[in-house]
Amino acid sequence: MRRAWRWLAGRRFWTLALKELRQIRRDRRLTISLIVPPTLQILLFGFALDADVQNLRLGIVDESRTRQSRELISVLTENPTFHLAGAYATPAALGQDLGAGRLDVGVVIPHDFARLRLRERPATVQVLLNAANANTAQLAQAYVEGAVAWLNRSLDGVRAAPVELRAAYLYNPGLVSAWFIVTGVFGTLIILNGSLVAAATMIREKERGTVEPLLMTPASALEIVAAKIAPLFLLLMAMVGLVLAVARLVFEVPFRGSAVLVLAACACCVLTGIGLGTFISTFARSANQTQLISFFVNPPLAMLSGGLTPIEAMPKWVQPLTLLNPIAHFATIARAVLVKGAGLDVVYPNLLALIALAGMLVGVSAWRFRRQLS
Amino acid sequence: MRRIIAQARKELTQIRRDRLALALALVLPVMLISLLGTSISLTVTDIPIAIQDLDQTPLSRRYADAFRSSLTFRVMTLPLATAPETLLARGRARAVLIIPERFEREIRRGRPAEAQLLVDATDSNTALLTRGGAGQVTAAFARQLGPPRATPAVQTATRLWFNPGREPRKFYGPGFLVLGLSIFPTVLAALAMSREGEQKTILQVYVSSISAHEFLLGKVLAGMAIGLTQWLLAVGLMFTLFGLRFAGDPSPLIAGSVLFVFCVVSFGSLVGAAIPNQAAAVQAVALGGFLLAFLLSGLIFPVENIPAALRWISNLVQARYYVVIVRDAFLQGGGWPAVWWAVLAIGGLGLGFYGLAWRTMRRMQVKA
Repeated sequence: MRRAWRWLAGRRFWTLALKELRQIRRDRRLTISLIVPPTLQILLFGFALDADVQNLRLGIVDESRTRQSRELISVLTENPTFHLAGAYATPAALGQDLGAGRLDVGVVIPHDFARLRLRERPATVQVLLNAANANTAQLAQAYVEGAVAWLNRSLDGVRAAPVELRAAYLYNPGLVSAWFIVTGVFGTLIILNGSLVAAATMIREKERGTVEPLLMTPASALEIVAAKIAPLFLLLMAMVGLVLAVARLVFEVPFRGSAVLVLAACACCVLTGIGLGTFISTFARSANQTQLISFFVNPPLAMLSGGLTPIEAMPKWVQPLTLLNPIAHFATIARAVLVKGAGLDVVYPNLLALIALAGMLVGVSAWRFRRQLS
Repeated sequence: MRRIIAQARKELTQIRRDRLALALALVLPVMLISLLGTSISLTVTDIPIAIQDLDQTPLSRRYADAFRSSLTFRVMTLPLATAPETLLARGRARAVLIIPERFEREIRRGRPAEAQLLVDATDSNTALLTRGGAGQVTAAFARQLGPPRATPAVQTATRLWFNPGREPRKFYGPGFLVLGLSIFPTVLAALAMSREGEQKTILQVYVSSISAHEFLLGKVLAGMAIGLTQWLLAVGLMFTLFGLRFAGDPSPLIAGSVLFVFCVVSFGSLVGAAIPNQAAAVQAVALGGFLLAFLLSGLIFPVENIPAALRWISNLVQARYYVVIVRDAFLQGGGWPAVWWAVLAIGGLGLGFYGLAWRTMRRMQVKA
């Protein structure tokens, strides 16, 4: 412990860190790459990714052409989920447009609809759904059935169904999908940009052959690695602040929980990213190799994180793998603390996992980097 | 012509000798498509839901059992003493159903009983699915309770077209085929082009008698050979792992795929010619090829939901059109009448990219 203190207070570490800082400051591209892409990415992801089902194109074949059938149509189109895209003469024409992708939902009202209704016999309406997109189809089906159930209730008079379900949406009553996406993408941004920048600065020494002069300095390998990581850490934390500001100001993500907890999780995530980048850089011989290796690592890491799609929707054998994914833990923490306002008592397993992952990656990559030096 | 083929052969030999590039070309697309295509879905099939039964009567238990027997939900019982919010905050359950006291008594008296569903709405899509599923279970339960004659006045007979099992992988599998084909041929083409610039071998090309068109066409041809191999591998995956078949006439898919591969390879060559630095070129492709294809093509999230200010960009993203063609070929089967415009758009974009790449190359001169 005392040795560690003396080492940290030692002038060598600070000198080396200062050298790194100056090097980073002179590299305008690196600074820009830490400001522009993350901001753009979080804006793009937050605005463009929206799973909401709305404005589905509804096609109708009304063979009945009566007051009763028009009532049904108006009930269906009252909902903002559907908008009437066209009326068709025959089910065949409707089917053709559904097949060509010009419609999402088709409703066929039979010619005896009004007659059956007047005789108080049940009338059946045919609903055709383009189920290619399973998610949209499931929600659209629920909407159509809900609208028809509502119509039935108003037809049957005031008699309500024996059981009513009252739903309350907690944490996100407005159902803003950007809150889910932004908190999910946040971790992806930290890890991907962190690893990219770390790999770039680590590989530079190797590419330019400046490892030899570094070795000749009296600094130990540990000092060299630590001095490389520290300025990057500061820089990436500044990026985290920027992304947090965009999340708060542009997307109005609520900050319900403790800010310290969020920042602690961000710090762990940044360290994991740096560790990952250093790790990759120890395998590569040149800058473009690090980038190609990232192609193997990054897409699965980003997609299998639960950041964009729910982990529960993944196959059973993939779900345990997400426990090894730092982005998954970070997304859980960000959502729990920012949106749900949870405290340490809730997120401690994820935070511990993140710390463990960060420690492991930084440790292994420092060890590999050191081995390269000697 | 002979010079074009010679150039293409040289490119293929170069790829074959580079193990990392070869892995990138053949192994990674297959891995990525099979892993992500089967894993990514927005639809949670067994939503974890907790039930707190404050009534504890035969009828309330029957209501809870209705949820247990539905395929949509995975039910756990919440003890009476626990506050439902703690479970939701921990993310252990997506929703809590609270059956109130006097649930049975109210129903027996013919008064509507009201159950409460607390939904964790952090993920709004899953929240809506949960609400929809719970509503359907409740409606079915209410129908059982009602008097036997009470068939509702209007009934729906729903038919699911094109994907009757509502299997997400049949929708996302073709999507990731598009993503794979947008990334890998582009990266390889950009690398092959920028390498010439970075290692200054481009000078040899400049001093040789080859023309800009011949040089570019040779590169594009080699890239297309690799891209189409990847396409064949990916289509093989669609038939085996994803259980898809051609839904109709496959000729629009074949034409569209050849044009799409031409389009992405030209795009990669354009990036590589404009940026004579491999690392920077790969980064540009990652941004232009991967991110735009992923975000703005309707791969997972519908294009219609993108705000209009950003949506026009998606018209310039070739993957957006190719997604339409691939999904039509495997799911809807609309054929040429449905997708001719998408095939044309891809061809147009491809020619545009090729033209731009040629413009950067045409002078065959070292830039000052």
